[in-house]
This record gives sequence, structure tokens and C-alpha cells, in this order.
Amino acid sequence: MNCIEFEARLHPYVDGELEMNEMAAAEGHVVQCAECRARVERERGFRQLLRRQPRESAPPELRAMIRARVRRSARLAAMRPVLVGTTAAAALLLVVTVLPSLRPTSSLVSDLVSKHVTYAQIEQPAEFVSQDPRAVETWFRQRADLRVTVSDYSPSGIRLVGGRLAEAEERKAAYVLYEKGHTLMSVFMVPVPARGADLSGTRVSYRGHDYLTLERKGYNTVAWTDGKTVFGLVSMLGYEALLECADRLRLDRAERFGA
Amino acid sequence: MPRWAWPGDRTREFEETALVHLDTLYRSALRLTHNRAEAEDLVQEACLRAFRGFHRFNPGTNCRAWLLTILKNAFLKRLKQGAHELLDSDPGDQQRGAISITDAGRTRGHPEEELLQTVLHGDVDRALKTLPLAHREVIVLADLEGFSYKEIAQIVDCPIGTVMSRLSRGRAQLRQLLGGLAREHGYVKESE
Repeated sequence: MNCIEFEARLHPYVDGELEMNEMAAAEGHVVQCAECRARVERERGFRQLLRRQPRESAPPELRAMIRARVRRSARLAAMRPVLVGTTAAAALLLVVTVLPSLRPTSSLVSDLVSKHVTYAQIEQPAEFVSQDPRAVETWFRQRADLRVTVSDYSPSGIRLVGGRLAEAEERKAAYVLYEKGHTLMSVFMVPVPARGADLSGTRVSYRGHDYLTLERKGYNTVAWTDGKTVFGLVSMLGYEALLECADRLRLDRAERFGA
Repeated sequence: MPRWAWPGDRTREFEETALVHLDTLYRSALRLTHNRAEAEDLVQEACLRAFRGFHRFNPGTNCRAWLLTILKNAFLKRLKQGAHELLDSDPGDQQRGAISITDAGRTRGHPEEELLQTVLHGDVDRALKTLPLAHREVIVLADLEGFSYKEIAQIVDCPIGTVMSRLSRGRAQLRQLLGGLAREHGYVKESE
């Protein structure tokens, strides 16, 4: 190996990155050539200078934050049973928007389920975070002029997380998020479209009122309408819990705005 | 529900395999962004992306390089959105900054070693900052974090030969810049 050949290999030589046979040849050259030996020394010195740089550690708060976010992400991931289905649902939604005439009758419920799945995957599903039902109601009124009823399910262990503005059937919709343990429950309130709400599902009567129940992608949904607003509950919680929440909401709503 | 059992295991595995490299991620992010808040943000994003893609990580392979690849991609994505830094895929022989780049090693009669002894800790970061991204990242990975050429090639997504040439050019530039800073501090006289 001559000086020119060695110089081309100077950096991998110093970094110990040459192949065995090349390393031996380079070694042989360095032993003989004082000039190249000096180059090697210089490069090594420079490398040491860089290695002497202080090695900062990640701040403990950052570490804690990342661990918390990772855990949260894991919990949310566990709430979506069929991940592949989300993409399919999104594709369906797109087609539906472009071709409204082909809208399947239960599109609103599918839409709500897709939204629930989507929100369950994001870090902060609620735009406005509060455990106070009145505060969440005020937020909807001020933010979007929506008269939203937010029920308090805390006696049943269902905690209010907050609210978010969503869009369903091209209309502004209120989305109220609850959590029971690690299971999310979404309550959607969507204004009834001019052509009427097209809801389908199994008709269920609960405490004297009719609801439509439908299972979509492993989620249970309960829906009803009062003529002006469509209400939809989406969760992996059982139907009984959902119907009880629906009934509570209906009562709260009647109390607030009249039956 | 029994299925709630698995996220905990997965989280623990991620913490033990990936989050142990958080310091490397943080330091590299700092040197890519030069901004603490942005670096923290970038590391968080990279960690969450890594966690979501953890099922794609092949256990037993190099997790540190895998994480750095994710960090690098997240950084590039931000650059494209913000475009606040010159993004050179390969800066070639272009000269950048106020100091012209020559092969410092060939400058005869220049007591360069002595000059570099006077380099202050903050200087390396200051000098790195002015290097083109393509050169800066290979130096950070090789010299400050101790990655192998093969790992660097994976992280920056280029052939090993390119890693070598970038390292060689980048180190020459960095050496020159540090020399300039040492002179600026007045430790070495201009006339030397």
C-alpha cells in the first residue's frame, strides 16, 4: 500500500472499519511511513477531542413524559380490536362523502364508530379537557354555539374526559368523551340533517324509550333521535351500560330543555 | 378483559429495549435541532413512532440504530415542513460558512494540534452547527455517539462509501472551523 492508497483509507483505518486484509496492509504502510503515521496520530487526536465532549443526559422530565405517553398510547392501542378495519372504514367514509346517493343507511353510525376509533388513537382525544360537565357544556356553547347536555356518569365509575368538536354527515357535531378504567366511551350529538336521520339497527326498548343498537367493528353503538338531534354512544362497554348512560342523558336533556 | 394484559408487557419491553437509548436520542436531537425545546419534542415524537412501530422491530437486531433512523426521519419530515435549514443530501465540495475549507492537515508549519488543545467545550457544538446537515449528522453519529459505518449508513440511508466520504470531508471542515474559533478566543495568534 502506498501513501495515496493509504490516504483514501485513513478514516476507516482510524475508525477500525477496514476489512481484515486491508487493515493488515494499512498497518504495514503506517509502520514504514512517518508522514502517514503523523496523519493517523492527528486524526486520532481529533477523534479524542470530540469524544471528550460532555455527554448530556436526557432531562428526567422528558423521560417521564415519554414513558407516560408510551403507556397511554399502549392503552389506546388496546382499545382498537381491528386496526386494519380503520383504514377500510376511512376508505368507506371517503366514498360515502363523494357519492352521497350511495350512502348506506347506517352511515352515520359507521361514521361515529370511525371517529371513535380515530380519537381513541390520538394522544389527546379531547380538545377541551375537564371532568366538570357544566364546564364542558359551556365550552361547546361558546366554541360552536351548540346546546350540549353533558351527563355525569361518575356514580357508575364512568369518568368525564372532555369534549371535542367533530364533523359528522357534514355537520358540526359535539363529541363528549368518557372513560371507564381504560375503556373509552364516546357520546356524539349530531344535528338531524334536513332529509332526516337515517338510522338503522336493532330496536331496543329500555325504560320506556326506543333505541337502535348496532355492532360495528367490535364496538357497541346505541343511537336515538329527538327529532332535532341524533345521539350516538360508541364504546366497547356492554349494551346495558350504554343504555343506562343513554337513559341518563335523555333524562338530563329533558330536564334542561324540556322533553 | 384479558386482552388488557398485553399492552403492559409490550410497554415494559419497549422501555427495556428502546428507552434505554434515550440519552443518545436526546443528544443527537439536540445536535440536529440546536434547540432544547425542539429536541425534546423531536425525541418524544420519535419515541412514540418507535413504540407504534415496535412490532416491526426485529428483536436481537440493533435497536439504537433503528431508533436513530426513526429520529432522523422525523427530523427530515419537520425540515420539509418548516424548511428552516438548508437540506443538502450531499453537499459535495461546496464551501460553507465564513471559513474556507482546505485540507487543514496539509498546511505545513501550522501547530494545529496545539491549536485544537485550546478548543472549549461549547466550541464543538458551535462549529458543528455551521456544518451542512449531511456532514454534521455523520460526525455526531460516528464521533460523538460511536456508531459504526454500517449503522450510520442505515440511519442516514446511504451507501457506506458515502458515509466515509462525508466523514472525511466533515471532519476536515470541523477541524478548520475549530481552529478558527480557537484563534477567535485569542489562544493562538493569527500570525502563527
